Amino acid sequence: MSANGYTKEQVIEALHDIAGEMHNKMLKGEPPTMTLPVRTKQNISFDSKLGVYKYGKKKSRRDATSLGSARQLLRALHVTEFIEEMIEAGKSSTLREMYYISEGWGHGKFGSQNESNNLAEDLEIITKCMREDFKLRPEEDGARIIGNITLEERNRRGEWMRINCRDDVGDSGYGVPHNVEVEKLRMVNHDVDFIMAIETGGMFDRLVENGFDESARCALIHLKGQPARSTRRIIKRMNEEWNLPVLVFLDGDPWSYRIYASIAYGAIKTAHISEYLATPSAVYLGIRAGDIESYDLPADDLSSKDIQALNAELSDPRFADAEWQDEIKLMLELGKKAEQQSLAKYGLDFVTETYLPEKLAETLGR
Amino acid sequence: MSFGHWEDLKGVVAMADAEKIASKQKQISISEFFEKNKHFLGFDTLQRAVITAVKEAVDNSLDACEESRILPTIKIEINKLKGDKLELICQDNGPGIPRNSVENVFGKFLLGSRFHAIRQTRGQQGIGITGVVMYSQLTTGSKTHVISKIKSDSSAVYVNLGLDTRRNKATKSNERRDVWFEDSEEVSSGLKIQTVMKAKYQRGRQSVNQYLRMTSIVNPHATIQLIVRDGNGEIIDHGHWIRTTERLPRVVEEIKPHPHGIHLGQLQRMLKEADERKLTSFLRHNFSGVSMRAAREILEKAELEEGRTPVRIKPDEAQAMLDSFQKVKLLAPPTDCLSPIEEILIKKGLSKAIDSRFASTVTRKPAVSQGNPFQIEVGLVFGGDLSADGPIEVLRFANRVPLMYQQGGCLLTKALESVDWKRYGLDHPGGKGLPKGPAAVLIHLASTNVQFTSEAKEAVADNEEVFEEIRKAMLEVGRGLRNHLKKSSQRKKAQEKFDLINIILPEISRKSSEMLGRDEPDLAPVITRIMNAVFLEDEVLWDNDAKQNICSVTIYNYTARARAYTILAKWPEGEGVRMAENPRGGRKETNGLWAWRLDTLNPGESTEIRFTVEGVTKGDWNETEIFYRGNGDIIGANKIDEKLLDEMRKIEALAAAEAEHAKAAESGSMERLADRAEFLESFEEIEDEGESESIPAAPETTPTLDDWRGGGAE
Repeated sequence: MSANGYTKEQVIEALHDIAGEMHNKMLKGEPPTMTLPVRTKQNISFDSKLGVYKYGKKKSRRDATSLGSARQLLRALHVTEFIEEMIEAGKSSTLREMYYISEGWGHGKFGSQNESNNLAEDLEIITKCMREDFKLRPEEDGARIIGNITLEERNRRGEWMRINCRDDVGDSGYGVPHNVEVEKLRMVNHDVDFIMAIETGGMFDRLVENGFDESARCALIHLKGQPARSTRRIIKRMNEEWNLPVLVFLDGDPWSYRIYASIAYGAIKTAHISEYLATPSAVYLGIRAGDIESYDLPADDLSSKDIQALNAELSDPRFADAEWQDEIKLMLELGKKAEQQSLAKYGLDFVTETYLPEKLAETLGR
Repeated sequence: MSFGHWEDLKGVVAMADAEKIASKQKQISISEFFEKNKHFLGFDTLQRAVITAVKEAVDNSLDACEESRILPTIKIEINKLKGDKLELICQDNGPGIPRNSVENVFGKFLLGSRFHAIRQTRGQQGIGITGVVMYSQLTTGSKTHVISKIKSDSSAVYVNLGLDTRRNKATKSNERRDVWFEDSEEVSSGLKIQTVMKAKYQRGRQSVNQYLRMTSIVNPHATIQLIVRDGNGEIIDHGHWIRTTERLPRVVEEIKPHPHGIHLGQLQRMLKEADERKLTSFLRHNFSGVSMRAAREILEKAELEEGRTPVRIKPDEAQAMLDSFQKVKLLAPPTDCLSPIEEILIKKGLSKAIDSRFASTVTRKPAVSQGNPFQIEVGLVFGGDLSADGPIEVLRFANRVPLMYQQGGCLLTKALESVDWKRYGLDHPGGKGLPKGPAAVLIHLASTNVQFTSEAKEAVADNEEVFEEIRKAMLEVGRGLRNHLKKSSQRKKAQEKFDLINIILPEISRKSSEMLGRDEPDLAPVITRIMNAVFLEDEVLWDNDAKQNICSVTIYNYTARARAYTILAKWPEGEGVRMAENPRGGRKETNGLWAWRLDTLNPGESTEIRFTVEGVTKGDWNETEIFYRGNGDIIGANKIDEKLLDEMRKIEALAAAEAEHAKAAESGSMERLADRAEFLESFEEIEDEGESESIPAAPETTPTLDDWRGGGAE
C-alpha cells in the first residue's frame, strides 16, 4: 500500500530505530528504553491544519527497570522480528494470529490479545507507519453498506470486481474489507445525496426494510458499535472523494457520543492516524438528549458507569465546544438514555416517515 | 476403651450414691429421658444419628487408648442396608473392657458422673456409647454385638447387648468366650462394636467423613480409617488418616474443683458425702486453691463455725458458704489437668488433613475462668489446595472433640470474627462475619468444664475470658500470616527483578544487537542501574535421604558500592535439634538465631550461606526469617532490632536460670521431696498472708516481640 506511501525498507528501518534506542542506552550503561507519545485524552489536541485530533507532545518513556516494562521492550523486539519475516515472505497475519504466535516467545509472550493489539498500535505510533505496513490485519468485522453507490474491489485473484451496493448485494449489503486503500478499493460512482452511518444492526435493517436508502437517496452504513478502522476510512474516502455529507445516527447514550467523536474527530487510541480516519464534517443526527423529552421516548436511567463516562467526556478536548458541553450536561440533568429502537414506540415507520425527515430538515435544511 | 470406663464406673458408683440421696424423690429412668429427648442427644435426624454414634464410639476409643498409653488405631465401617438402615462397625486396638464391666459401660447413662475428679476428657461431652445401643434398639429392635478383649485374658468376650429402658440396665445375651481374629491375626486387645440403626449416610460439611477428618487433625497420634459401602457392597466414601506422631497426649492430672467454679447442688452433694469432721478440713481437702487461712476466712464470712460437721450443713448455710467463696481471695486452680495438643502437633495434624503453603499455630498459656482452668490453641493454614473464594473454613474443637453444628452461635466463631482480618491479609468485607480467602482456622478449647449454649453441646457459650484468650491467639497467628504474606510478596518482587536481569535483559541485548548487526553491550553497569540494591534469597529444603533440612541464604550486591553485613537466620533450635553442617561457622546470637559475619561484598558479587539442621522431621520447618546488621538495606531481609534482641536474651537467661533451679530441686531424694512439700505448704500459707491472690501471671509479651516470634511460625 499504503496511505502514507512507505516502502518496505522504510518500514523496517523505522522499526529498527526502536531497537536502536534500546541498544544505545545499554551501550551507555543505562537500562534500555522505548519512547512513545502518551496515549490518553490528556495528550490529544486539535490539529487545525488537518481538522482532526492528534497526539500532542507529551512522551512517555518505558524503561526496563520493572518486569512489566522490560517485557514490553522484549515483545517489541519479537514483534519487529516477526514483521520483518512477514515482509520478507510476503505474508500477512491477523493480530490474533500474532497473539498466538507469541506463545513461543518465552518471556516476550503476550498475556492477552489486548496487550498484543496495544503493542501493535504503539509500534504504529512510534514509527508513523500503519499496521497495514506491518502486514497485520485486524480481527474486527468491517461495516456493511446498502445504497446506490458503485465500487470496485480487487479480489483474491487480483481481478477488479465492480459492485453496486444496491443491485449487486443481498439483504446484508456490501461487506467492507479490512483494507480499503486504493490498491484494494476504488470509488467508481454514486447516485446518492448523503451517507448515513447507523450504530445498531436492528436500526440498519429497519431502514433497509423501509426502503429509506431509496426514498431519502442515501447510502446506509452499519457501524457495528465502535466502528473498525476500515469503516471509518471508507466513510472518510466517500466524504472526500465524492464530497458527500456524512450523517451519524446512533443511540442516545454516553458511548454513542464517543462513537461519533471517533468518526468525526479521531479516536484517542488511533490519534496517530486521525488524518486518515476522521471525517471532521460528519454530523451527529441523533438520538440527542433533547429527543428523549421532545419525542417522549422510552428511556432508561443512567447507570453509575454512564455518569462516569459523561463526566469524563466533559473534560475530553474533543467535546470541548459549547454545543457538546450543553448536550452532555443535558443528558446528565435528565439522568436518562434512549436507544435508537425506542422510536418504535410510535410504530415501525415512525423513524423513516417522521423522525429522520425532521432531523434531516434541521441539519441539511431540506 | 476400658480406662475411660473405669472413669465412668467411678461415676456410676457416685451416681448410685447420689440416687440413694435422692431416693425420696421420684426416680426417673434416664432411658426414658432419652426416648423423650433424643433431639438433645444428637439422634434427632437420620443424618445426624450416624455421626453421633461414630462420635461416641471414637471418643471412647481415643479416651481409653490415651489412658492406657496405647497409640490408637480405629476403624469405622458403615454399610447401607435396606430401608434407611445402616450397619455400623467400630473397632479399636484399645485396652478392651473386662467381662463383668461390659453391661455397666454400655447399659447406663452416665450423666453428671464426675463429681469429684475434674479434668479434661472427651467423654465429658457425649451421652456415652449407651446412647448408641439404645438408639439401635429403639429404631431397629436389634441388639448391639460387642467383642472385647483385654490383654491379660486368653480369649475375648462375645456378647449381645440390649437395654431395659425402664430400669436403666443392660440386658446381656449369647455371652461366650472365644479367640478373636481380625484379618487372620489374633487381636491382643481391643473392642469391636457392631450395631444396626435407622440412619442415613450423607457427605459434605456435616458428615462422618468430616467428623473423622477433624478428629484426626486434633489427634495426630491416632490412625483412623473410614469405609462406607452402599447396598451392593461398593465403596462410596472412604478416608484414611495415618498418625503423624508417635507421641501420645500427656497424662492429665485430676484436680479437685475450685470454689469459684462450683454450683450449689454440687456443693451440697460434696457436703453430704464428706468424711471430714470439720468444715476447715472439708474445704482444704476437697477444693483446690483453698489454704487454711482462706478456709477460715470463707467460714467467717459465711458465719459458720469451723468445727461444724459438713454432713450437717443446711441448704441455706451451704448457700452462704457459696456466696463467701466469691468474697475471698483464693489461689488459682492448677492447670496441669489440661491436655493441649501443642503447636507442633497441631501443625502436623493440619498438614495431614489439609494441603497448604503456610501454617501458623499458637498454644496459649493456661488461664482460669470462674475457677475452671482452660487453654486456647489456634492454628491457621493458608494457600495450597484451599479454595480462595468464599469464607474460610473454621474447625472448632472442645477438648479435642470436633464441633460440627451451630457454627454461627459459637463463642469460638464469634471470637474469630471479632478480629480485623484485613490487617492480617485476609479479605474481610465490612469487618463482619467470617473472613474470606484460602485459609482454614482451627480453634481448640481445652477446659475442665466447657460451657455449651445448650444440651446439644455443639456451640460454646459466651465467656469473656475465653473470648479474650482466643482473640489474643488469633492475633498471634494473624501476625504470622501477615509476615508470611509480606515475605511472599517480597520474594515475588525479588524474583521478578532476577527474571528481569537474568533472562529478559540479556534477551533484549541479544535480539537488538542481532537485529542491528552490532556487538552486544556490557550489561553489568546496566544491571547495577536497574537493581541498585542488595538482594537476599533464602530457601529451606528437606533432604529426604539425609533426613535433614537444608537452609540456603544467598546475598547479591547489585549496588555500585562494596557492602559488609552480619546475617542472622532463624532456625528451629530446640531439644534434639542441632546444626549438622555449617561451614561458615558463625555464632549463636540467641536461642533460635544464628549469626554469620560476611566478608566485604564487592559490587556485582554474591555469596551463599548454607547450613543443615538435624533432628527435625519433614514439615517441621519450611520457612526461615533473615535479619541483617550493617549499613544499607537488603531486599529480602529485615534489619535486626537490637533492643528486641536484648529482650530475647534476657528472657532466655531467665528461662535457663529457672530450669537450673528446677533441676536442682528434682535431684533430691524422696525425703527431700517430702520436705519440699512441707516447705511448699508453708509457702502457700505465707503467700496467702500477702496481698497476692494467685500465681503471678506471665507478663504479657509486647506485640513487637510476638511479631518477632510469630514471624517464623513455620
